[in-house]
Amino acid sequence: MELGLSSTSDKSVKKLDPRTKLCLLIAISLIMVGGKTVGVEYILRVICAAIPFVLLLTVRHIKSALIYVMLLGLSVFCEGSVIPNISGAPNLILMILCGIISRFVPGYMMGWYTVRSTSVSEFMTAMDRMHVPYFITIPFSVMFRYFPTLGEEYRSIHDAMKMREIGQSVKNPFIYIEYVLVPIMMSTVRIADELSAASLTKGLCAGGKRTHICQISIKFYDWLLMLGSLVMIVLFFVF
Amino acid sequence: MIEFKNVTFAYSSTDADGRAIEQGSISGIDLTIQNGEFVVLTGGSGCGKTTITRLINGLIPHYYSGTLNGDVLIDGKSVPNTPIFETAKKVGSVFQNPRSQFFNVNTTDEIAFAAENQCIAPERILSHIAETTRNMQIEKLLDRSIFELSGGEKQIIACAGINVLSPDIVVLDEPSSNLDSSAIMKLKSILADWKSQGKTIIIAEHRLYFLRELADRMLILEGGRITKELQADEVNKLTFADTERMGIRPLSLEDISFSRESSSNHNEMLTLESFIFTYKDGKHGINIPKLELPTNSVIAIIGHNGAGKSTLARNICGLEKKCKGTLTLNGKKLKAKDRLHYCYMIMQDVNHQLFTESVRDEVMLSMTDKSMPDEQKAQKADEILTQLDLIEYADTHPMALSGGQKQRTAIASGIASSKPIIIFDEPTSGLDLAHMKQVAVEILKLRDMGKTVFIVTHDLELILSCCDHIVRLEKGEAAENYKLYKDIAARLRQFFAN
Repeated sequence: MELGLSSTSDKSVKKLDPRTKLCLLIAISLIMVGGKTVGVEYILRVICAAIPFVLLLTVRHIKSALIYVMLLGLSVFCEGSVIPNISGAPNLILMILCGIISRFVPGYMMGWYTVRSTSVSEFMTAMDRMHVPYFITIPFSVMFRYFPTLGEEYRSIHDAMKMREIGQSVKNPFIYIEYVLVPIMMSTVRIADELSAASLTKGLCAGGKRTHICQISIKFYDWLLMLGSLVMIVLFFVF
Repeated sequence: MIEFKNVTFAYSSTDADGRAIEQGSISGIDLTIQNGEFVVLTGGSGCGKTTITRLINGLIPHYYSGTLNGDVLIDGKSVPNTPIFETAKKVGSVFQNPRSQFFNVNTTDEIAFAAENQCIAPERILSHIAETTRNMQIEKLLDRSIFELSGGEKQIIACAGINVLSPDIVVLDEPSSNLDSSAIMKLKSILADWKSQGKTIIIAEHRLYFLRELADRMLILEGGRITKELQADEVNKLTFADTERMGIRPLSLEDISFSRESSSNHNEMLTLESFIFTYKDGKHGINIPKLELPTNSVIAIIGHNGAGKSTLARNICGLEKKCKGTLTLNGKKLKAKDRLHYCYMIMQDVNHQLFTESVRDEVMLSMTDKSMPDEQKAQKADEILTQLDLIEYADTHPMALSGGQKQRTAIASGIASSKPIIIFDEPTSGLDLAHMKQVAVEILKLRDMGKTVFIVTHDLELILSCCDHIVRLEKGEAAENYKLYKDIAARLRQFFAN
């Protein structure tokens, strides 16, 4: 599984506008975390849980979509059939676990979809259209760009540890964490420093205006989805 | 026109105890660079050539702080008094480390990035990109993830970004450090193209052979001052002996001498068998059914980027579990998992393999023999550190050392681990002549200790100064496998000249 913003823009599938994704993300997180499991809110929850699944399929992340559905299905099954039949500590633990999965995982998957299907420049363009200032946008986009770098660094460090035969024999997990964290911090600080310098020489500047070659626009289905999210949020607060 | 008027600069930093100190970098530089001139800056590490490039693109004083005296002018305008995004319109920059100079993840976005920041209309940027793509023939590199590209391809993307905005001045800070010979040739043709367009080019470099025909002027720096200035005709006349005396890398690959007598006459061989491995993408990998190599010698693994050099090194090390290949050493057949106990790799970025709080601890960490008491380990560590001239830094934090010292610390850990096979991944990328020679000496020391050393490298000089044996890879297969001696060195030069 890769982390970080998407690298290529696939023109074959209908792309959602990043702003639509944000709307959906807010609606799903609100309703899934705060919603009750009865009445209108129950219907809203079902819809919200289904959205990330459908969206993941559209960007062909079939494996993660299936894992998501299975995880969700399992927790619903447990809540319905297993929890009422057991008692004591196992009941409590299972209830907490299922609660966390059914409330947080849909929002997490929507967030993951948003990050995976948006490129750095799409994100910058969308934020610019919403008049979000650069001092907020730039750190965020650098952060997203950073995840794959962290992954690369971690893999190299892990190799070095394997070669030096440390980590496996060390029984204390704190030592393992220290040995991973120290080199990761050192190299990420250095990369961040060089990255900032390079961006500055390319004229990136928090005060100025910039143009965008990337084309994003809010299309009909974007309006539809945004309206849908708004309706869901309103219903959620009314009921 | 770029003018340096009596420029002195010292970086402000903190020492190991956290006290603020000033580190002198350049002093009293007077320099005028005419429009359209191609200037090469060279000299040992820390001579101040990078500082000069940073003064031109405005990173000093706008990003790196310190004490600046004197003035730097571009077309009569003071760089320190101009905001850096204004300077960015006139000056494009290419940096040493291709991993850390891209803001975007997508290559096309990155090429457009500098132009977008200057508020150029999207239609114009797109047409510039189309034109650049045609001229540089980089269709294959567009709309890709930066993380899929090789170092050479990344530098080409950086150059393409400069073409799109097309500034009058380009500064390059050691752009060839991580490149192989074919990528260097590509870089050379891009530079030639810029020169013909009349751009002013300032390049700080250690490797000079690809700049011989391009340079209008070469400045040699030492201790923050320009100690020698050579015009184009003088640069052309420089022989290997001249550059050796000046302490810089040679200007031509042909006249690097091979004076060493090949000293390893062992008949002992190690055998690699069925080293077949493919990465997940299904394209890259290695396919080596059988390869016999001499033990207790220095073996260079050469080949173009993507030929599988690093993959072979990783597999020899046993870092790829899926590889079913075996390595037979002294009659013992070693599988991937066993090889981890026999091999030690010094990585290209040594920062990844230093874990502890002092150099001595670092070396002791490698002594996995539990029966040995700590005092004995410390004593043995000190012996190794003395051999590698590191004993005075025994209590220093590894991260406070210079690049070369870090590398030697990693070598010391390798020796301490008492593994018979030591592998170097690009040990001399971005090193000046003196440091390159030092690495060669250390590698020969390892051989004298009885180790078998593998070196993955693009550096012909390093190969000629310490290797006994060559393996050339092509598309994952061992294309050539031969002993290096005087008469055969020409064959090797030919590979690097192409």
